[in-house]
Amino acid sequence: MRRSPEIVRGLLVALVGLAVTAVVAAALLALGGHSPGATFAALIAGAFGSWDRFVSFTLVRATPLLFTGLAVALAFRAHVWNIGAEGQLYAGALAGVAVALLLPTGAPLLILPITLVAAAAAGALWAAGPAAMRTRLGVGEVITTLLLNFVALFLAQFLVQGPLQEPRGIFNQTDSIPEAAHLPALLPGTRLHVGFALAVAVALALWLYLARTPGGLRLQTVGASPRAARVSGRFRATPVVWAAFLTSGAIAGLAGWVQIAGVTHRMYEGLSPGWGYTAIAVALLARLNPLAVVVTAIVFGALSAGGGAMQRDAGVPEAWVRGIEALVILAVLATDRCWQLLAARGKGG
Amino acid sequence: MSPGEIHGLIGENGAGKTTLARILGGLVAPDSGKVRIGGRAVELSGARQARALGVAMVHQHFSLVPSFTGLENISLLDPGAWNRRGAAARGYRERVEARARELRLAVELDQPVGGLGVGARQRIEVLKALMPDPRVLLLDEPTAVLAPQEVDGLLAVLRRVADAGGAVVLVAHKLDEVLAVATRVTVLRRGRRVLTTEVADTSAPELAEAMVGSEVAGSASSSRRRGAPRMPGEVCPRAARLAGVHARRDGREALRGVALEVRRGEIVGIAGVDGNGQRTLAAVLAGVQRPDEGEAELPPEVGWIPQDRTEEGLVGEFTITENVALALHGQPALRSGPWLDWRGVGEAALGVMREMEVQAEGAEMVASALSGGNQQRVVVGRELLRSGSLLVAESPTRGLDVKATAAVRARIRELAASGDEAPGIVLISTDLDEVLELADRTLVLVRGRLLEIAPGERTHRAIGRAMLGAQRVGNDW
Repeated sequence: MRRSPEIVRGLLVALVGLAVTAVVAAALLALGGHSPGATFAALIAGAFGSWDRFVSFTLVRATPLLFTGLAVALAFRAHVWNIGAEGQLYAGALAGVAVALLLPTGAPLLILPITLVAAAAAGALWAAGPAAMRTRLGVGEVITTLLLNFVALFLAQFLVQGPLQEPRGIFNQTDSIPEAAHLPALLPGTRLHVGFALAVAVALALWLYLARTPGGLRLQTVGASPRAARVSGRFRATPVVWAAFLTSGAIAGLAGWVQIAGVTHRMYEGLSPGWGYTAIAVALLARLNPLAVVVTAIVFGALSAGGGAMQRDAGVPEAWVRGIEALVILAVLATDRCWQLLAARGKGG
Repeated sequence: MSPGEIHGLIGENGAGKTTLARILGGLVAPDSGKVRIGGRAVELSGARQARALGVAMVHQHFSLVPSFTGLENISLLDPGAWNRRGAAARGYRERVEARARELRLAVELDQPVGGLGVGARQRIEVLKALMPDPRVLLLDEPTAVLAPQEVDGLLAVLRRVADAGGAVVLVAHKLDEVLAVATRVTVLRRGRRVLTTEVADTSAPELAEAMVGSEVAGSASSSRRRGAPRMPGEVCPRAARLAGVHARRDGREALRGVALEVRRGEIVGIAGVDGNGQRTLAAVLAGVQRPDEGEAELPPEVGWIPQDRTEEGLVGEFTITENVALALHGQPALRSGPWLDWRGVGEAALGVMREMEVQAEGAEMVASALSGGNQQRVVVGRELLRSGSLLVAESPTRGLDVKATAAVRARIRELAASGDEAPGIVLISTDLDEVLELADRTLVLVRGRLLEIAPGERTHRAIGRAMLGAQRVGNDW
């Protein structure tokens, strides 16, 4: 809640983890016959090489990860194991697109707010089923949220091949959304859209909520000990658990629609390369701290942006980026654990 | 330790009793030093190995599988229970029964232990430890949850084990039990041994002094009656009233027609063996559970010191400050607009720590890192901050050492005597001494019913008999 030393420690752990990743990845790349130097140079240039690379690629790719990462972080704080950000993202994307395409175009100013609300509501709705099953029947949400991902994915496939398919009927995608539904550029001349600012605002709001409000305290109590919530906190855990599910789903729902409204401007099959799953790593690396999620989402966005450049300029297949992403997670977790063990030994000895 | 010895291990909370027992039980590896069993230095790397070397342990918190029957639980750690193909060995049941008879332990072997009372569960735990006939039997605070008769029974079993040549280590916080049964005693203070002596050569005050390092005013377990008669005709305002209250817990009727009236400034003691409706009564009085039937007139805010401080009283991963905030976050004084006033909460937490003499590195220390006694001090101090005219204290000194116990009891007494602003206090305790020491009047909770004990009958025997109700009475444990 208010643990600044924790944040410093987290940053140090992350830096050491990244250094470890670089060393291990370099060794593996060398073994694979690639030049580590050239590969990293391409990766870094692709992600941070110029202001435009950073803003138009890294930050743009970080945006959906930021939304989904925040969704997961919030849920996990309440010990609600929402593995369903992917499905909630698709639900939000579909709802946003459907409303944008079907809404009469008479009110251009209202279309963005309405679609954003629709996307959030759809994401929340997608999380409501697992919430009901957890609170009423005691069914673990890990399974239910995960399985609903596939339902959402197939629903999306069905809709873009059928009812929502573009009138030409050639590609499995929807028509372009009307211009009024586009998210405006955040920085003129770049591809960065207002969605990124919205995501950062959500991060800030969540952080304030968790750290400074009674509701945030309740949310974390429910996660740590529902019995203490009832006995010491004198409140019922169930509504808080519901709130965590719905808010998490809503934020994940925004991820899908913001990506469409800000970048692709239409819905198609395979919109998300697994943002809802990468989100778990993003959130865990950030120790579920919303402000730190901003940082970890940008790191993963950079890997994604740099990966393309790496393939193009250094001839290293993009699959390596996936491997490096995994290495980052392993290295940071291992560093963190070693850190704890060393700290414990230091105290004990 | 030598064979046939009962060794009492006593000390304040956090003195290292449990850690020492766990080292001997193979659960904790010592950073340095050696454990010798039968003259041989051994490295214990786990409970199973300790067990193979003849060390058996009965834990402070039960280690039984609730859905297994008594017999199944006993067989779990006993290699003799299984034949080579992994099937239950023939005649095992008979051996268990014979052992139980030999020790005169009345155990229920065929019911899932989750449905049994604490005392019955503990008998199974003890029998489980004794099945392979260990050389050393360790018991970590085994009497904390038992009725007086049950304690006597347990101590008698320990004596029989020692008479048969076993060595017994009894970790305890009640001096009189140790003095009653142990042959030798070791006192720990802050992780160091301060005294090891024959029980015959020592006395309760000497041991108490060794434990806390300073003279304690009166041993905590002496049943000093408070009495404090009120002025005749003086009637204090009512703090709470229950009438004909029925309530369920886990689908079973836990309270059956409870009537209770609590006036401000009085301490109502409710004695009883665990599992007779205490938890439900506390929840109803605290306003957390609404009765299914009957009336409950309660103040809007009630202080509640719950029985289970680690699971209910505190959130282990929260800091002291956050745990204080958990209870007080609804108070308007600690809010500014939508925000929680963390500075105010932090001051309240420091106040709790000062008031209750909590030993911690600061209010930002995580609760799970505190010793049991310090955790309880935090809970008590925090619940006193609720502005209520009713305080429910559930076994508030359970598992606490002499000094912490004295501090908590003194605080409760002070509170009751604090004049017009004094809350009514309901003390629900399985510790009869505590009830007799603190309460103005005594009731006994048996199977969901409250029995009032007449002032003239406030004796251990009489109340003990009422506590056990229709259960088996007597020393045949």
